[in-house]
Amino acid sequence: MSEEMRDVFGKTLVELGHEFPELVVLDADLHTSSKAVYFKQAFPARFIQCGIAEQNMFGIAAGLATQGFIPFPCTFAVFASQRALDQIAVSIAYPRLNVKIPGSYVGIPTSRAGASHNAVADLAIMRSLPHMRVADPGDNRELRSLMRAAVLTEGPVYFRITRYTLPDLFATDYEFAWGRGVRLREGSDVTLIGTGMMTGLCLEAAELLARDGISAEVLHCGSIKPLDEDLVAESARKTGAVVTAENASVVGGLGSAVAEVLTERAPAVLRRVGVQDRFIESGGIGELLAHHRMRPADIAGRAREALEAKDSRP
Amino acid sequence: MRVTAEKIAQLEEIAYQIRRLSLEMITCGRWGHVGGSFSLAEILACLYFHELEVDPQNPRWEGRDRFVLSKAHASPALYAALALRGFFPLEELYTYCELGGRLEGHTDMTRTPGLECSGGALGQGLSIAVGMALGFRMKEQPYNRVYCVLGDGECNEGQVWEAAMSAAHYHLDNLIAIVDYNKVMAKGFVWEEMGLEPLGAKWRAFGWEVLEVDGHDVEALLRVLYEARHVRVHGVPVAIIAHTVKGKGLRETEFNYKWHTQAPDPEQADAMLRQLARNYGRPEEGYSKLNDPVAKEKFYGGE
Repeated sequence: MSEEMRDVFGKTLVELGHEFPELVVLDADLHTSSKAVYFKQAFPARFIQCGIAEQNMFGIAAGLATQGFIPFPCTFAVFASQRALDQIAVSIAYPRLNVKIPGSYVGIPTSRAGASHNAVADLAIMRSLPHMRVADPGDNRELRSLMRAAVLTEGPVYFRITRYTLPDLFATDYEFAWGRGVRLREGSDVTLIGTGMMTGLCLEAAELLARDGISAEVLHCGSIKPLDEDLVAESARKTGAVVTAENASVVGGLGSAVAEVLTERAPAVLRRVGVQDRFIESGGIGELLAHHRMRPADIAGRAREALEAKDSRP
Repeated sequence: MRVTAEKIAQLEEIAYQIRRLSLEMITCGRWGHVGGSFSLAEILACLYFHELEVDPQNPRWEGRDRFVLSKAHASPALYAALALRGFFPLEELYTYCELGGRLEGHTDMTRTPGLECSGGALGQGLSIAVGMALGFRMKEQPYNRVYCVLGDGECNEGQVWEAAMSAAHYHLDNLIAIVDYNKVMAKGFVWEEMGLEPLGAKWRAFGWEVLEVDGHDVEALLRVLYEARHVRVHGVPVAIIAHTVKGKGLRETEFNYKWHTQAPDPEQADAMLRQLARNYGRPEEGYSKLNDPVAKEKFYGGE
C-alpha cells in the first residue's frame, strides 16, 4: 500500500517538469482535485489556468503543442472524453499533436458525485479515436513509468488516474511499454485480464479460485491501445476461457478490445466485468463495487461461469 | 504608414487570383465552398503578401508568424494563397479533395506545407490561436503574431467566446482575430439564422480592442492590420471585424447561401470565370481544365 494515485500523478508531473522544460500543465479549475497543483507550485510560469472551459483548454493545448510544448491539459476524465471530445478529435488527434491527456476521477472511486462526474465511457471513446494511445495504469509504479513513456512518445496520449490507493503490483524496476501486457500469475483453466485498478482485484479473484482448485492466469493490460494482442490470444488459446475486468463500461473498453482479439484470432468463452451499460449512481466505493458486481468474488463468479460454458461446449 | 499604388494593385491582383483559383479547384475537385472563399480573398492576399512573416522555402521556420483558418471550409482560398506565395506548386491546386493528395477538403496540417493547424469543426481555431500566442510569449518571441480568421456564423459556437475570454485574461496582445463578416451562413442570412449584433460590442465586452473595416478594400485592410500590429493597446488582443460580401465577385454568388457549398460543372465554371475576369477588368480567361479530357472524365465519369 502506498499513496493515492493522484498524489503520485502530481508529483510525477513535477519530476518530469524538471527533466523536460517544454512540459506545461493546463487546468480547468480542478488542480487541487487532480493534484496538478504540485506542478503549479513548482513551475508557476508553466501552469496555465483555463477556467471552467474544457473545450478551450484542449484547443489551447493543441496550439501550444504546435509551438513545441508538451501540454498536459488536466481535468476529470468525463469532461475530457465527453465535453471536449470534438476538440480532442479534430484539434489534437487528427493532426497527431503531442498532447498528453490525463483523465482523473475514473469509474467507481469518484467520491459520491454521481453520473455527471464518473467517467465510464472514456476508454471506449478514446479508444475509438485514430492516433490516440490509451492506458489505465494498475499501480503507482506503472503510472510513473507510463507518464514518462507518454512524454517520450510523440503524439496524443490518454491515460487514467484512479482516485484510490492501489496495492503495488510491480517491482521498482518495472517499465511500462505501449502494447505490452504483463502476465502476473500463471494458470491453465481460465484467464483473468485486468486493466487499471481492476488488475489487483483480479489477483484476489485468482486466490479465491485457487481455493476451489481452479488455476487462473492473470494478465494486466495497462496499455489498452495498442493492446498486447499476442499475449491475450496466446493465453486465451491455452485456457479457452477469459474474463475481463475494467473500472469502466464494458461497452467499448477493455472487454470489447479483448473480444475483438478473441473473435479474430483465438475464439474463447468470454465474460466481461465492469459497469454494465449504465450510468453510475452516488454511493460509497465498496457499495458501488458490490452494486456493479466488480468485487474479487464477482470476478471469480464470472470465471466459474466462463469455465462452465467452456466445459459445456461440444 | 504609406501604401503605394503598386502595392495595392499587386494585392488586388493576388485577391483576384485567389478567387479564380478557388473556383478552378472547387470545379476540379467537385466540392467546396465558393462563398466563404470569395469573401476572404483580399484578407488572405493582405496577410500572405504583406503582413505575415513566413518563409515558403522553410515552412517550419521558428520565427514565422502563425495563421489559423478557423473557418477551414474556406480552404480553397487558403490553398490558393499558399500556392501563390510559393509553398507548393500552383498545379497541385488541382488535386484538391483528391484521395491521397495533400489538399484535404478541410485543412490537415500534417499534409499541406504552410498549414499551422487542422480544422473543419467550427469554433476550434481561436483556442488553438490562443495556445500559439501563449507559446510565443513563453518562448520569448515578442515580435511574432498569431492571426486567426473566423467566420461570422462560426461566432455562434460557444468555444469562440471561451477563447475570447481567455485571450483577454492572458493579455494576448500578440493575437489578432479577424471575423470574415460576410453576413451569410450555410442556409441563410446571419440575422435569420442566429443574430450576432452588436458584434463589435460583444468582442469589446470580452476585453478586446475592436477595429472595423471593409474587408474588400485592400488599402483599408493594410491600414487596419498595421494598426493591429503596431498601434494596439498594450495587453489587449485585437479583433478586426471585416465587413465582406459572401461570394464577392460574381452577381450570382454574392450574398447567395446556395453558393455556400456547391461546385459548378465545367461549363458553368467557364462562364463564371469569364464573368469574374470582366468584373475585375482582367483579360478574359475561362476554366483552364475545360477541354482537359482527364478533368472532364473526372467530373462526368465519377460519382
